[in-house]
Amino acid sequence: MKIRTKAAIAATMMLGTMVLISASIGWADAQVRAAVAQQRHSVEIASALNNMRMVTFEYLLNRRDRARFQEQVVWERLERLLANPVALDGVAARMLAGLRGQGEDSHRLFSEVEASAAADPADDVQRRFEAQLSSRILILQQNSLVQAEQLIRDAGERIDETQRHVVVITGLGLMVMALLTAATAWFFRRDVLRPIARLELATREVAAGNWSFELDVGSSDELGDMARHFDAMTRALRDSFNRLQVSNRDLVVLNKELESFSYSVSHDLRSPLRSMDGFSLALLEDYGDRLDEDARDSLQRIRAASQRMGRLIDELLGLARVTRAELRLQDVDLSAMAEEILSTLAKTEPGRRVRWEIEHGIRVRGDRELVAIALQNLLANAWKFTSKVKEAVIRVGTRDEDGEQVCFVSDNGAGFDMAYAARLFGAFQRLHHERDFPGTGVGLATVQRVMHRHGWSLGAHAALGEGATFYFRPTEQVDERREQDHPAG
Amino acid sequence: MNEESKTILLVEDNDDDVALTLRAFKRSHLMNPVTVVRDGVEALDFLFVRGTYAERGVAPPTLVILDLKLPKLDGLGVLKAMRADARTALLPTVILTSSKEEQDVIAGYSLGANSYVRKPVDFAEFLEAVKILGIYWLALNQVPPPQ
Repeated sequence: MKIRTKAAIAATMMLGTMVLISASIGWADAQVRAAVAQQRHSVEIASALNNMRMVTFEYLLNRRDRARFQEQVVWERLERLLANPVALDGVAARMLAGLRGQGEDSHRLFSEVEASAAADPADDVQRRFEAQLSSRILILQQNSLVQAEQLIRDAGERIDETQRHVVVITGLGLMVMALLTAATAWFFRRDVLRPIARLELATREVAAGNWSFELDVGSSDELGDMARHFDAMTRALRDSFNRLQVSNRDLVVLNKELESFSYSVSHDLRSPLRSMDGFSLALLEDYGDRLDEDARDSLQRIRAASQRMGRLIDELLGLARVTRAELRLQDVDLSAMAEEILSTLAKTEPGRRVRWEIEHGIRVRGDRELVAIALQNLLANAWKFTSKVKEAVIRVGTRDEDGEQVCFVSDNGAGFDMAYAARLFGAFQRLHHERDFPGTGVGLATVQRVMHRHGWSLGAHAALGEGATFYFRPTEQVDERREQDHPAG
Repeated sequence: MNEESKTILLVEDNDDDVALTLRAFKRSHLMNPVTVVRDGVEALDFLFVRGTYAERGVAPPTLVILDLKLPKLDGLGVLKAMRADARTALLPTVILTSSKEEQDVIAGYSLGANSYVRKPVDFAEFLEAVKILGIYWLALNQVPPPQ
């Protein structure tokens, strides 16, 4: 049963009991009023009957006209009272009707006594008849008085009885209400408080990571539904958590495989390349004078290819390392870093004349090593692609875009056609011919990975022959998941 | 122990690499005698004068050039055993390997390697590296006194 239904039943029963008590009090009030009215009426009747008796006595003793006259007055009063009977019930009504009959009889007999007295005062028969009438009157009146008193007593008893009833009904009603209150409290405790306490415990347990906690509440009320939904939610959470754990384990395994793969690549693939390069050079050095130009050229090509493959492997490993490395966020002085990288590039190619302009004090929050790798690649690109320009200029700076700092590296070199920009950041994708600008096509892919790891966006703008600009938005929001690359457990 | 007997122990299993390294020594005019061993166990046998090397003279090598990837016992295992033994605890040891994995470099140094050099693919660069190694470890560096 629903809690709502139980609450409605309890409230209805309470209200019903209260209505019952109120009704019984109202009924008792009406009963008492009626009884009091009958009592008052009966008292008046009794008083009139008493007077009647007295005047009758007086007349029978003294035969005075005053008494006769008084009898007439009292009779009229009695007749008026009996004409408007105030009765509680059928018994009282019948008694009052009887009293009326007796009163009428008594008054008729009184008139007969009067008439007899007026006839002949000395007639013995008449006297005896008169005496007979008189005693009948007195008996009638005596009976009437007794009945009137009976009516008064009945009304009193009715009042007492009603009071007793009221006490009993009120007491019973209060007891019922007390029982109802106790039952409601018990139900509330059993159906509401206890399930809520369990639910609270469950939320705490589940929040603490105890996925196997089940409420298992069998009740069919609202809290039972809630508990079942809660269990379903916990199960769903547990399932997805388990799935996550499984895929995490798979990922860890995959990561390990990747690591051992790159380890093998770095070790085993480079070794034959070294042999190819080393022995080609040995041939050139030891037998160079006995080989013709074509043979020497072939050997040089073998060496160049070996070295190029060596670089490819190294850069591929670098790319893997960028993806794998753990992010350690710190403040990085981009300006100082760019200055250092460009100075080093200038030293490796002292023949080049490159002017560079670096905005002072560019600071970003990122992983120093990864940011250095990205900046190194961007600047090396700028350096490389300006090699055919007379007045090479490389700029590193920032600009404000919608209140956000955007860093850029720009050059006035070869640039590229924006139509191919989509291929720009893919590994081994190149937009220039090897003979124009040598490279492996891994550099910008690496830059892209570094930006991705930081949650920064990377973009480029260029035109063929008019230089290129690479810009990135070093937003503070580092993807939390990327910072916790190694899941617990 | 005179200057001429400054032996180099080359621990290397790859024949090509042995040949190239010896060629680099020769071209760098390093005249020291070189002993080549092919795996980690053989290296320790030589160093501790046991097994097939039980009969060799007791003079220890001046420099050990150690590859990491070796059959039976790998380079790091050799290094660990060397550093645990008083006879070879201070022997200058250079790791010369293809790997530049961070974990290998860290492991090498924490086990007591004196240098960590990566073999470049370009033989000209390799030659340069071997030349500098030779000058540094065989001529410039003051070796610890014999135990």
